[in-house]
Amino acid sequence: MKDEKKNGRFPQYYKTGVIILALFLLYAYGLQVTKVNLEEPLEPQRQENLVSLIRSFARPDIFAYETETRRTAVSLRMPCPETIRGSQVSIEGRQLLMVPNCATTTQDPITITGSGFLPNAEILVAWTPLGSTSTRRLADFKASDTGDVSITFTMPDIRPSEEPQAIELVEVVDRNIVGLSDTTYEALDKIVETVLMALMASTIGTLLSIPLSFIAARNLMQNVKAPMTGIMSGIILLPVLGGGAFWIGQQLVRPILSLDGTFLPALQTSLEALGFVGNFIFVLIELAFLLLPLTLGGLGAFVATSIGSRFGQQVTMRAPATTVRILTFVTTLVGTAVLFILLALALVWVNVLGIREFVPEGGWAQLGLFLWPGLVLGLIAALLTLRAPAKHHYPIGLVIYNATRTIFNAVRSIEPLMMGFVFVVWVGLGPFAGIMALTLHSMADLGKLFSEEVENIDEGPVEAITATGANQLQRIVYAVVPQVTPSYIAYIFYRWDINVRMSTIIGFVGGGGIGFVLQRNINQILYTRASVMVIAIAIVVIVLDNISARVRSRII
Amino acid sequence: MLKIQNLTKVYEDGTVALKDVSFEVPDGEFVAVIGLSGSGKSTLLRCINRLIEPTSGQIWWNGIELSEVSGEELRRARRQIGMIFQHFNLVNRSSVLTNVLSGRLGYTNPLASILGRFPEADIKRAHASLARVGIDDKADNRADELSGGQRQRVGIARALMQEPKMILADEPVASLDPALAHSIMRHLQQINKEDKITVLCSLHFLDLVQQYSTRAIALNQGKLVFDGTPKEINDEKFIEIYGREAERIG
Repeated sequence: MKDEKKNGRFPQYYKTGVIILALFLLYAYGLQVTKVNLEEPLEPQRQENLVSLIRSFARPDIFAYETETRRTAVSLRMPCPETIRGSQVSIEGRQLLMVPNCATTTQDPITITGSGFLPNAEILVAWTPLGSTSTRRLADFKASDTGDVSITFTMPDIRPSEEPQAIELVEVVDRNIVGLSDTTYEALDKIVETVLMALMASTIGTLLSIPLSFIAARNLMQNVKAPMTGIMSGIILLPVLGGGAFWIGQQLVRPILSLDGTFLPALQTSLEALGFVGNFIFVLIELAFLLLPLTLGGLGAFVATSIGSRFGQQVTMRAPATTVRILTFVTTLVGTAVLFILLALALVWVNVLGIREFVPEGGWAQLGLFLWPGLVLGLIAALLTLRAPAKHHYPIGLVIYNATRTIFNAVRSIEPLMMGFVFVVWVGLGPFAGIMALTLHSMADLGKLFSEEVENIDEGPVEAITATGANQLQRIVYAVVPQVTPSYIAYIFYRWDINVRMSTIIGFVGGGGIGFVLQRNINQILYTRASVMVIAIAIVVIVLDNISARVRSRII
Repeated sequence: MLKIQNLTKVYEDGTVALKDVSFEVPDGEFVAVIGLSGSGKSTLLRCINRLIEPTSGQIWWNGIELSEVSGEELRRARRQIGMIFQHFNLVNRSSVLTNVLSGRLGYTNPLASILGRFPEADIKRAHASLARVGIDDKADNRADELSGGQRQRVGIARALMQEPKMILADEPVASLDPALAHSIMRHLQQINKEDKITVLCSLHFLDLVQQYSTRAIALNQGKLVFDGTPKEINDEKFIEIYGREAERIG
């Protein structure tokens, strides 16, 4: 007994040792792969870069200043005369010496030294070319602690003239805040845009995800079962009614949306009087027209599936078993073929794996190509239905549940940045692309979170409502919705918060919002401006975080 | 008339909850369903209104084969069978009135009910049902503001909204203290007698069975082991129903 224990413990140590060794090797390899280099950050140049970056960010360009200056002028000749010398000036205790006092080419270095300036004063070396009204900046520097100055510069271009030209040292004497800088105004403008982008994406995403979340909830879907006749006749009717309604919708809106139409421009002009509210109403109306074919198509699809399931139910309930068998066989054959052809046509349209090269052009030719394989597949499926009892109810709910879940997970795993890029290609640069990307991502993300919330509800009320003879929709509205409302609202705020942060990033691919400006400032090495953007984002995120925490605690 | 023939339920994990159960219930009876926890009482009641799908066997009720109907017909059958639960199963965040009105969902226009609209007559009926169980003054409270006894009365009012011909009560008093239990049982008895509604009620306490039911059926490990009047449950029968280790109280 004792020996067994001893023997039993040895492999335990051994196992732990192997695990530690494996982890050690993993991290060692990780270090190599990730190119961790400890020398680079210690290089003086890099450290200096870092310090200057941090200092720029620490000095955000928030305020606009008015500066009080003092000028000290010294004269310069262009080009140089035969004999080259220096110029000396002495005004109010300030001494300046410029050597040489002339320039012939843009390469000639000119050095100014002097004393008597304000300690540490910011000084600009400026030149106003003769006959010009604008001043050109030649150099920036700071006076020493004792008020001494020393700077070497070159002339940016040579303007020959008989007269001497003035080089001025503009010294900042005093600096007053007179308001907010242009950068701050831009940041305010863009952060409002960002917050509204996030709000719109969250709202639309939520509206779309709520109905989908019920479809993606296992507890609501697992009892949804239908006879194969119902499922298949729904699928057969789908392209007819759904596609038909979509086509009718397209025919209806085409004259309205066409470029030479008069309805929309007239509407826009008449709504312009209302300002941005008018524009909002106009966009809503336009959107309604744009979405009409889709809405009608969806409605057609809904009607198709309800007719199908109603038909299947009635047949299964009333008809004798043989009739049900024959109907199941026929509808399965046709339905599977239709499903296969639709899927195949969709794949061809997307050109998966370059499939278009191998199929004929034109919808009818492709239909002909896929007809026979579809029918063969349908026959196999139809034969398979013979194995189940005639009136078997198939778990169609679980199929829909799994499909919806898969789509949610797939869409969620695509970074909004990537979606932003796709939508920028489609609808152009600007916040609209950002809104669409965030909406899509929010929809999938919230859909998954919401459906998990539905799966965690107390089943008791659902059971009770079911027992009253309520249908699925009534069950959702009366037993599920009241239970999930608080957490749904909490999630909406949480998502808004996330969307604000994400929309700052989406700007990087041109999706509008503050990220767009932030990236521009970083690219142009305007770090003091970028700093303002970063601060604005931080403030908004903190404020939103607080609000959402408060709303959540109040609702639940 | 409720007629159950060879009803068997085997759960997916292999548990046999009901085994070849057959019995008949004439209209207007108050049937107590007794047995140990896990003997299949809840499964039996839920098979009748198909909250649980039976594995085999038939359930006939007033000429409808309950075990065969589906879809619209199943909903039509369900709306005539009220159900009361041990844990009340109210929607806590909704008002008492909404909870009671939800008993009417099988009758109302689905679209209107989804928008929260109920006919005036239903609202009147809801108040009447609440008044009948003595809590009409709580109509506008949220369900979770009520005490246990009040909640079960809301449950009864909800079942009454269905104008049921039969009520299935799954341990309606198991979560309540004895004093409240009698009040709830009296409401059920009254409904049974005045409205001629058949009641199938699973119970734990034999004194409640003796006092309120007109008949008792007993399950032991999914099998029907007793079918008779409550008075017929003598010590011998008691051991058959509850097993040798059980002790008779009350």
